[in-house]
Amino acid sequence: MNAIAFTGVSKSYGTVRAVEALDVTIDAGSTVALLGPNGAGKSTSIGMLLGLVRPTAGEVRVFGETPDTAVKRGQVGAMLQDGALVPGLTVREVVSFVRSMYPEPMPLERILELANLTDIAGRRVDRLSGGQTQRVRFAIAIAGAPRLLVLDEPTAAMDVESRRSFWASMRDYVNGGRTILFATHYLEEADENADRVIVIARGRVVADGTPRQIKAMVGTGTVQFTIGDQPTAGLDALPGVHTVDIRGPIAQLRTTDPDATVQALYATGLRVTGLEVKGADLEDAFVSLTRDR
Amino acid sequence: MLRYLGVEIRRTIRDRRFIFFTMAIPVAFYLLWANVYGKSSGSVAGTDLNARAYLLVSMASYGAVGAALTTTGARLATERQIGWLRQLQVTPLRPWAVITAKIIASMCLALPAIILVGLAGVLTQHVHLSAGEWAGMISLMWLGTLPFAALGTLIGSLVGADAAQPVTLVCYFTLSILGGLWMPVDSLPKTLRHVAHWLPSNRFAGLGWSIVGGHAPSASDGLVLAGWGLLLGVLALAAYRRATVRS
Repeated sequence: MNAIAFTGVSKSYGTVRAVEALDVTIDAGSTVALLGPNGAGKSTSIGMLLGLVRPTAGEVRVFGETPDTAVKRGQVGAMLQDGALVPGLTVREVVSFVRSMYPEPMPLERILELANLTDIAGRRVDRLSGGQTQRVRFAIAIAGAPRLLVLDEPTAAMDVESRRSFWASMRDYVNGGRTILFATHYLEEADENADRVIVIARGRVVADGTPRQIKAMVGTGTVQFTIGDQPTAGLDALPGVHTVDIRGPIAQLRTTDPDATVQALYATGLRVTGLEVKGADLEDAFVSLTRDR
Repeated sequence: MLRYLGVEIRRTIRDRRFIFFTMAIPVAFYLLWANVYGKSSGSVAGTDLNARAYLLVSMASYGAVGAALTTTGARLATERQIGWLRQLQVTPLRPWAVITAKIIASMCLALPAIILVGLAGVLTQHVHLSAGEWAGMISLMWLGTLPFAALGTLIGSLVGADAAQPVTLVCYFTLSILGGLWMPVDSLPKTLRHVAHWLPSNRFAGLGWSIVGGHAPSASDGLVLAGWGLLLGVLALAAYRRATVRS
């Protein structure tokens, strides 16, 4: 059964087309990443999925029902991008209040434990750090044990350590056969946590596949060095490399595995100077993907 | 929805500013005015109440209207701005339940002002109220706060977080002054007296003045208030829906 179905969905704000003719179905039980640069239409799509934004055209279904109905029945939990917490309540009070609205919620202690909040359950939510606030927001999203969990850039304001522990909590939660959709602009995050990645740019789906396929399409990084007048043949056969770009004395390799590429590069016997390794420039990758269409 | 109502009330009671502005201020004003004007034994112009009893209702109304407005307008606008209401929207709690709970919570939070000013009047100013009058005054005035609670949520849905506070204050003072809560309506210029007559604040206090004066509350007061309550309630619901769903 489809957990989510977008059929010909478009959304315009005046003359700006935020989402264009979106046709996507997502199986129940899968974890899907919605990957795209800022302004790609991720939040608008999520807004329509949750019934917060009305589509200009087309139809959105969540477990075969309208988003409003699915939300009303407690089948959806969400962590929005800017859902701040209301002051004056403790962590425990906020979580137990949200929990009480759902038909079959998770036990309170289990929620606090999953979101790593047990130690600060008695603290007022207006006196928490940024990372702690994010954890409370995650707890709110999972409190009702929803069948569909939607997370809009959940780790946007987190440092590396909180990000890691967040995804660990997340994986604990998924182990119940639930459907997860999360938006992100980090390819690594999509790669490590999703079993399907939908890439959107300028309001359209530009790629859709397993993390492996997507990585192969956009590359995860570039390896750049000064090649001078040495021969360039064979560079495209190095592990991970899928595009070779020679600009004057500079060789730029787009690769899915920068580490392997660099190691193999030294083994070629070429004189490598001015080596620079960079992560994927997703903006560039998305633009090229869109242009290809 | 009851849980949400509880949450709303608990949050507000923890706010010290709320305690100060909605409980301490009306009681303090009452004691001040009652001591200034309460010496004369004559009745207040246009009524058969002495100043101490008249002011009891005025200041209880002033406090209740203030509590109803300040626990809704600016708070709702802020919750809207910080995204809390959007977060609530993706839970099974329905928008009508949110706004209804907010209005009821705000009405409950107006009760202490009515009770405390009433107590101050009875205990320190020798205003006599029978048990039935007490019960009647509190329950009718409690119901009577509905239009103000609805007005507050309407402001909170329509106006941004920055402007909600001043807009609320303008409404509060207009309703208080023109409604005869600060000075008797009879001391206002003639045209304003006509306006006052149709204001919910004047009718709201009217309920209390009748009861404290030993009369049955007038049906027209009740009807005008109910009309305001219905109108503002419907507008508040509609405005809330408009404010939370981006078309």
